[in-house]
Amino acid sequence: MSERAITELFAGAGEVEALIERRAAEPADLDADVALTVARYHPRRIELTVAEAIDETATAKTFRLRRPDGAELPPFLAGQYINLFVTVDGVATSRPMAISSSPARRDAYDVTVRRVPGGRVSNHLIDELAPGDRLSSTGPMGTFHHNPLFHGDEVVFLAGGSGVAPAMSMVREIRDGGGARHLHLIYGSQHADDVIFADELAAIAAADGRIRVDHVIGGLIDAATIADLAGPLADRMVYVCGPQAMYPYALDQLERLGHRRRRVRFEANGAPARPQEQPRWPAGIDPDAEVTVSVAGGPSFRSPRNRPLLDALEDHGVQPEVACRSGECSLCRVRIVSGEVFSADEARLRRSDAAFGWVHCCVAYPLTDVELAV
Amino acid sequence: MSDYDVIVIGAGNAGLTAAATLQRDGTRTLLVERHNVPGGCGTSFRRGRFEFEVALHQLSGIGREGQPFSLRNLLDRLGVADRLELVEEHELYRTVVPGELDLTLPADWDGAVAAIEAAFPGNRDRLERFFQLCREVAMWRAVAPRAERDPGALDQLRSSGGALLRHGLRPSRDVLDEHFDDQRVKYVLSSYWGYLGQPPSTLPFMDLAILLFAYVEFKPFHIRGGSQMLSSALLDSFLEAGGAARFNATAERILTTGGEVSGIRLAGGEELTADAVVANVSPVITYGRMLDPDVVPPAALDDLRSRRLGPSGFVLYLGLDATPDELGLDVSTTLIGTSLNEDELAAATRSLDSVKAAVVTCYDVEPIGFSPTGASHVSLMTLQYASAWDGVAADGYARAKFAYAEKLLDVMEVVAPPVREVIEEVDVATPLTMSHYLGHPGGSFYGFDQDATDGWLFRDGESPALPGLYHASTWTGMCGFQPTLEAGARVARRMLARRPAVTAGGE
Repeated sequence: MSERAITELFAGAGEVEALIERRAAEPADLDADVALTVARYHPRRIELTVAEAIDETATAKTFRLRRPDGAELPPFLAGQYINLFVTVDGVATSRPMAISSSPARRDAYDVTVRRVPGGRVSNHLIDELAPGDRLSSTGPMGTFHHNPLFHGDEVVFLAGGSGVAPAMSMVREIRDGGGARHLHLIYGSQHADDVIFADELAAIAAADGRIRVDHVIGGLIDAATIADLAGPLADRMVYVCGPQAMYPYALDQLERLGHRRRRVRFEANGAPARPQEQPRWPAGIDPDAEVTVSVAGGPSFRSPRNRPLLDALEDHGVQPEVACRSGECSLCRVRIVSGEVFSADEARLRRSDAAFGWVHCCVAYPLTDVELAV
Repeated sequence: MSDYDVIVIGAGNAGLTAAATLQRDGTRTLLVERHNVPGGCGTSFRRGRFEFEVALHQLSGIGREGQPFSLRNLLDRLGVADRLELVEEHELYRTVVPGELDLTLPADWDGAVAAIEAAFPGNRDRLERFFQLCREVAMWRAVAPRAERDPGALDQLRSSGGALLRHGLRPSRDVLDEHFDDQRVKYVLSSYWGYLGQPPSTLPFMDLAILLFAYVEFKPFHIRGGSQMLSSALLDSFLEAGGAARFNATAERILTTGGEVSGIRLAGGEELTADAVVANVSPVITYGRMLDPDVVPPAALDDLRSRRLGPSGFVLYLGLDATPDELGLDVSTTLIGTSLNEDELAAATRSLDSVKAAVVTCYDVEPIGFSPTGASHVSLMTLQYASAWDGVAADGYARAKFAYAEKLLDVMEVVAPPVREVIEEVDVATPLTMSHYLGHPGGSFYGFDQDATDGWLFRDGESPALPGLYHASTWTGMCGFQPTLEAGARVARRMLARRPAVTAGGE
């Protein structure tokens, strides 16, 4: 019976109150544990142990990563990545790494790393990371995966160098039960001995009619090569993953073949090393000159304009949450309190970000002295 | 002295309006949010050439300049109305049941009568009577809560508010049955039920009445730049008034001293003191995980035990390489059902067997600026309870997700046949996705199931359950942007009214 005068004025209030009492006596459904669901599918962090370090080529290694207790890892879609957190020369940073293993196995994630000349993290991983080492990562994420709602069953993958890693996961997925999908991998390497996964790719292609693998050694994957190897692309979805320089070239070659832009999907690939070469970089602004970056309530330091804010922050002990380091995932969003930054073309900013001063610090470059709210 | 007068946990709609209202009145307020931007549901994301609105389908309650009881007035008071570009829609919705009906309702009482009468002649008088009842019930519903604290208003409600008192709690279906014979007319008039998650058989009539009133009388709107524009503008209103905000900060515990709220503890261990906390958080979490079990009032737990989780949704965020015209979408909001039996449609939200109802929202009929020229951004949603996923193993999650998405596209093809051919981007959100981003049990975005038991007449979610703890969210009132925005401001105003007289300090 309600103690509230207003409630009692309503016809039918008594029945509703009786229903509430009945419900209170029934088992409720409110104990759904959000944290468990999140941990199962989208954990913020996964603690990992290096189970094996496999030499793939003279310059590439695969690290097999497991949970310390061997428990199953979250499911992922072939093509997705994890962001690995590492400390190199005292600087805590991270690198997104495509998972190269099959999504059918959840006891481990393989990540395959190639030395980048001068690359701090890739060389550190290859030289220092050994079985038994512990590290942490984000959960699997990213939109560079086969989406059955519109990608179709006939797909082509143009891979360059270690960009074969997500392709390998897709190939293994098809081998392990990928249904009707056919994947044609066109894989470019500088030298024959740079080819990663050569034997396994050959074995799968020989045994499985759904997989075709062609290697392009020492040359570019140009329009003629694509047409020659793949025939008419029709409307097949084309995935591209490789070094940054490959992307505009691949797009141009595909467009020459009359392929529609929306049937090409590029894997995110880091911040542009030379932002000043993008057309929107303001004229007369020296990319190498230093400006002052200040974090509200945090450090203040000098940093060159062409260093992404994320890297500059990490250099100075500030670690925004981050995953893709390529402008897409939005986890490293920070707000510009004052000053001007250049957001590279890679930045997937929203209209409201522009209006209210949010940037993705992984692909944002300070043009003037700036103050940030991190 | 405490670090803050009030700490607001959660920068969702209600958290933002609560924080802005408090701070603009001089209360020293801290807003704590675990994400890196404000908004909660009120946000957007990018894929390829598209930006996607996450949650705002049609903003209700905006109305004309100066229209009383409007959301526009609240936004004005908070100093954000002139920072927003509001895009008016001229139709409520197109409602479609293949083979049965296909009707577009203008956002206008007379226009709606004319449209229904043209399709189903012989109902004009009944429609006039029904809409008159809707208006009367909605207007009394809007002022009734005042009667709680004002004996004069209570007397007035008793003597003149008979329509509300007699019909308010009745199932909408009973009231519709009383007015109409043709199930198609009833279906058309109650097609908005999906916005509250209850079919007409369990949706209290006053909720349907106020929903129709809020859209017809005040018109449906979109926001250019999406709901994140509103969230960000509210944040700035708060910050400009001197408020402090912490993003990427998770409030783990609400601290109490002697049974009264004394502050919060953040993940990482930092403690902040305050005289009061506003939880823009599900009470399931607040009481279940954030408070010392010893201080949780038994009445709060009793209350939770009689609640049921409301639905979440399964959403396809579609970036389509075609104009709305080319798709066949001539209004912003299209509601599709596969039969005239709403109970059957509602039952389908508890399993993955079939899709029986869908909301197709196209944001380029009245463009909000999220699509490139020649393309369209469409949100394709069906309500779904998270329990539908209970039997799906993690290994089968992606497969089940895409299989269900195909069924949802099948339903959309009824009104937009070319949709599959023009998909340029699509991202799928399941109740588990909602749960991940919102932290809500069951991924519920409406809070508790909103049948009659959830109403303000039977629950008191906004009075402090223990000294200094306030709630403002979709869990403690009606769901939707307008109700949650209003709830935050209302709770804040009540807190301000309770505030002891402040002696002028040395500031």
